[in-house]
Amino acid sequence: MIEVEGLVKTFKDVSAVGGVSFSVKEGEIFAFLGPNGAGKSTTVQMLTTLVRPTSGMARVNGYDVVKREKEVRLSIGVALQETGIDKVLTGRELLVLQGRLFKMSREEAEHRANELLKVVSLTDAADRRSGTYSGGMRRRLDLALTLVHRPTVLFLDEPTTGLDPASRVEIWNEVRRLNREFGTTIFLTTQYLEEADELADRIAIIHHGKIVSEGTPEELKQLVGGETVAMDFSNESEAATVASHFGTTANGTHVAFELRNVTLTEIVRALDEQKLQPERLTVKQPSLDDVFLKVTGESYEGGEIHVD
Amino acid sequence: MWTETWLFTKRSLLTTIRNPFSFIPNLIISVFFLLVYTSGLSSVASLPQFEGSDYLNFILPVSIVSGAVGGAGGTGQALVRDIESGYFARLLLTPSTRTAIVLGPMIAGMLQLLVQTLLIFAVAFLLGLTIPVGVAGFFFTLLLAIGFGLGFAGYSVGVALKTRNAQAAQAGTLLFFPLIFLSTTFVPKELIEAEWLKVAATYNPTTYIFEGMRAVLTQPEIDWGALSAGLAVAGTISVVMIVFAATNARGALTQK
Repeated sequence: MIEVEGLVKTFKDVSAVGGVSFSVKEGEIFAFLGPNGAGKSTTVQMLTTLVRPTSGMARVNGYDVVKREKEVRLSIGVALQETGIDKVLTGRELLVLQGRLFKMSREEAEHRANELLKVVSLTDAADRRSGTYSGGMRRRLDLALTLVHRPTVLFLDEPTTGLDPASRVEIWNEVRRLNREFGTTIFLTTQYLEEADELADRIAIIHHGKIVSEGTPEELKQLVGGETVAMDFSNESEAATVASHFGTTANGTHVAFELRNVTLTEIVRALDEQKLQPERLTVKQPSLDDVFLKVTGESYEGGEIHVD
Repeated sequence: MWTETWLFTKRSLLTTIRNPFSFIPNLIISVFFLLVYTSGLSSVASLPQFEGSDYLNFILPVSIVSGAVGGAGGTGQALVRDIESGYFARLLLTPSTRTAIVLGPMIAGMLQLLVQTLLIFAVAFLLGLTIPVGVAGFFFTLLLAIGFGLGFAGYSVGVALKTRNAQAAQAGTLLFFPLIFLSTTFVPKELIEAEWLKVAATYNPTTYIFEGMRAVLTQPEIDWGALSAGLAVAGTISVVMIVFAATNARGALTQK
């Protein structure tokens, strides 16, 4: 659905995107993950015909984004980082106008508007000016606007930046639903590791305009090793015994090691045989934070949730 | 493309009506001009250079044109608001032509101007305006106002798209301030004393709009020469400015 080869964008002398290549398959959710200024938005703007690439090739739905921009625009839905809403118009007016601009008849556009208002739960607020909406409602309206013409590929540029946690979860559910129910291919950018992990089938980590790593969330986590198990005991001697059994050393009452040559069942059995009971036993997945640190050598600092 | 243009026009009209403060101050200023100039300067019309016309008829074009210029500046500002709210980018992502996206607000601006000019005329009639040549005088004045206003709307849209800045779009209106006053604004050219002002008035396109309107408002018979010159200037300006606006609309797509 999306094929990109050596895409470059240079503004005057500043390189924003330094040659990215990737492809997104039909029905996939693909996330571009990176901190502010990594080149995420510029990539989205190139793929959605809003910015002309300096060099390289990109095709969306089989259409070249430079040579066939009109066809590209007809087949995609785009929600940019800033919501694109006229505050003076009502939600319904905006949706109907959007439908009409995508060549629907008046009746069709009105019907579609009602349908989408229901989808994003804005029916009650439909006839209020969108300027009176909350941040979360505006995002939902913005999402509805991108869906009016039933696009097969959806571009979401930082869909939850600036939202409170509850609204973020709402948007996540909406994105998953679109993907599941309509098979919509989704390309999203985010600076939240959690969001990429939560939503994406595949993730590309972008840093200083280049893709530094790409794969499924699991594959990326494999880069920094598998799951680890951690146990806490009531005293140090118990901890030491268990540690030596698994060929490692205890840190006070704490024992932790990678689940590589041993299964969780074996661990539990061994503990049982020695009549040892840890006070706490946890299995920890490696996080994308660890991955980011590993592949860029920098610790990740874009991941906090900002609340407006 | 015409359906889209109409949709954009409707939308802009709706936006204007819901933002009454975008046009009311400008209208008040125009009417204020008309009242103040007419009551303060009307005795100069007894000078022979006025050829017996009423000063109200002579000054009416100034009120109409300054109203048109101020009103048209709002078109560009509305567009800057769209750019700032991100709505403009959403419109660029629809299959609409760029021309329709800029033409819609311009036509809406022109219709706003039409209503505004009619209101100024209404005030003038209340003040006792009579047009010696009859309905034709009213019609041609309207046509000149709209043509010039459309041109200025195009100019403000072009500046808005080029700068993407509300202040710059507003500052663009300032350019027309000298254009209105360095002209045969208050008296006929024969009465202008300073040589530089005479020269400025000769090269100022606004002069031809004023003269065109006066050709149908102040004379007992239409002065076709001055009227055609006025219509030609209004027509040229609006075509040039629409092209300027559309060129910048296409530019706004690829730059950023």
